[in-house]
Amino acid sequence: MAVPVADALSPGLPAGDVAAAGRFSRTRGALRTLEITIPAAVLLLLLFFCFVWPLIYPVPKPTGGSILDSGLPVGAPGHIFGTDNVGNDIMSRILYGGQVSFEVAAAVQAIGLVVGGALGVIAGYFGGPVDSVLMRVLDVFIAFPSLVLILAIVDSLGQSELNVIYALSVFSIPAFARISRAATLRLRDQPFVVAARLSSVKSWRIISGHLVPNMMPQLLTFSLLGAAVVIILEGALDFLGYGIPDPAPSWGKMIANGQTMLSVRPSLVIVPSIFLFVTVISLNLLGDGLRARWEVR
Amino acid sequence: MSTSVTSGEPGTSSVEPSRPGGGTASRRLAGSPALRVIGRRVLIAIPVLWGVTFLTFIVLNALPGDAATALLGANATPAEIRAETIKLHLNESIWVRYWNWLVGLLHGNLGTSLYYNQPVTSILGQRIPVTLELVVYALVITFVVSVPLAIFSARRPRGVVDRASMVFSMASLSVAPYVLALLLILVFAVNLQWFPALAQGTGGDIRDLTLPAITLAIPLIGFYVRFLRADLLEQMSEDYTVTALAKGLSRWKVLSRHALRNSFIGLVTVIGLNLATLIGATVIVEQIFGLSGIGWELLRAINNRDVPLVEGIVLVFATIVVLVNLGTDLTYDVIDPRIRHGRSRS
Repeated sequence: MAVPVADALSPGLPAGDVAAAGRFSRTRGALRTLEITIPAAVLLLLLFFCFVWPLIYPVPKPTGGSILDSGLPVGAPGHIFGTDNVGNDIMSRILYGGQVSFEVAAAVQAIGLVVGGALGVIAGYFGGPVDSVLMRVLDVFIAFPSLVLILAIVDSLGQSELNVIYALSVFSIPAFARISRAATLRLRDQPFVVAARLSSVKSWRIISGHLVPNMMPQLLTFSLLGAAVVIILEGALDFLGYGIPDPAPSWGKMIANGQTMLSVRPSLVIVPSIFLFVTVISLNLLGDGLRARWEVR
Repeated sequence: MSTSVTSGEPGTSSVEPSRPGGGTASRRLAGSPALRVIGRRVLIAIPVLWGVTFLTFIVLNALPGDAATALLGANATPAEIRAETIKLHLNESIWVRYWNWLVGLLHGNLGTSLYYNQPVTSILGQRIPVTLELVVYALVITFVVSVPLAIFSARRPRGVVDRASMVFSMASLSVAPYVLALLLILVFAVNLQWFPALAQGTGGDIRDLTLPAITLAIPLIGFYVRFLRADLLEQMSEDYTVTALAKGLSRWKVLSRHALRNSFIGLVTVIGLNLATLIGATVIVEQIFGLSGIGWELLRAINNRDVPLVEGIVLVFATIVVLVNLGTDLTYDVIDPRIRHGRSRS
């Protein structure tokens, strides 16, 4: 295990992959910048189009389209990606559906990072009964088939974006907790933490000043990669009919509805799939690029 | 390698006193640490499983609607529903029903499905093999592809193989399982007609399982290749691998013999963490391909409010996850005894 000697992680310092860094340092530096800026730019563009574009440009409504316009092909005038079976503009449904995906992903990961991260650090640092109890409770949630709880939450509270967020958070929290606990266990016996403890630094100062900053890169990277998973999961819920309630558009629902016409009009499946794929791969690439830059696993 | 480090060594236990509630003495007294650890871990798994079953019962009880309504349909009269409710013992309180279910469980009886009117165990017996074959098939594909691919990638970082496998794994990791399933159906079932789009029989046929297994395996391959490659590269900058290289061993040998072993620690954790996700994915994949496995049955049972059947399926899922987590923790001890000192064995 690479032992961090400084108590703050120094970004840009190559710790892994040393041999390659020496050989390709210049191209590698440029590549690394591109590895981060390209997906970040794509994500910003997608965010802009999903959230800002409908405000400044007269995009057709995602619902209530005219049945007379139904089934228009890709490239039809006024409808770049055509229309679906009930005449709704597909481009518009992509944009509004994208809002849902981004909102759900951001909210679920934020809840997971704050709540799960805190639980994991506390459990890992203090150990003993605190650790046992917290970890057993989280074990229950990890062992619990997510779908049952998600369907139950959505069924009993009613189908809504907020309830989908709650349901998915129940599973992002244990994931973050396990990761931050593992990071705490790895850090807590490192020389710099032991030194701080021997200098009678208070526990909360060790946690906030030494442990959290050291694991933050790992948690942030994980949350970007996790956001990609959440977007896929949210689509899966739509696919099973338990996601965002019906008139509202979402990428997963568009794919699910297009499934029946797969061999006749594959564009109904392919267009939202491409947007889903580009979003998810951008999040993954950004997470991966930051992981490489921050030298975390 | 750390295989020489045993649990009683003074060098490693010097950090112990800083731990509150460390129980060093009892551990030293233990005759066979491994057995004690296994015993204690199994005992811990029981409350976790109990928690899962209890949570399931509460959650299902909170759902609107019940099995009587689901069985009789929308046209049933209130009197009929009441009669059915009494017949199914749904008029008893949730605590009584849970207690009866729990007592039955301890006698090895999972109850009777409200919907099928058959023992839950016999329904599980029909459904589990399908899902098990699917998951094992997918995992076999995953490991056969990803371990060699990761080693080849790590052998020449940023080389041709590495770049190609990174592009592949990034793409495979970013494609949603349902999209992948539809894509595979479009190409291999509709156009090439190599495999059926929907399962033909009750499952078990390898042709029926191939497309679903590939659907499950592709994202997993992406994940494990990325993970294992990153970990192998980190291992390759460690002192022990540098030493091995300095002694003249080939990079290939150091990777596959030395680094891979240590990388398995991380891999083992990740498999444990991933298993719940994999089970979630089987539900969707079984749904799309029409495989009558346990995940497919779970969705039906939830819709039918078939509490005993849902409980049975949840218990199976939870037991698998708990057992794998248990195995993960125990494997830690076997692969890397140092970890034992970093935390309490509670």
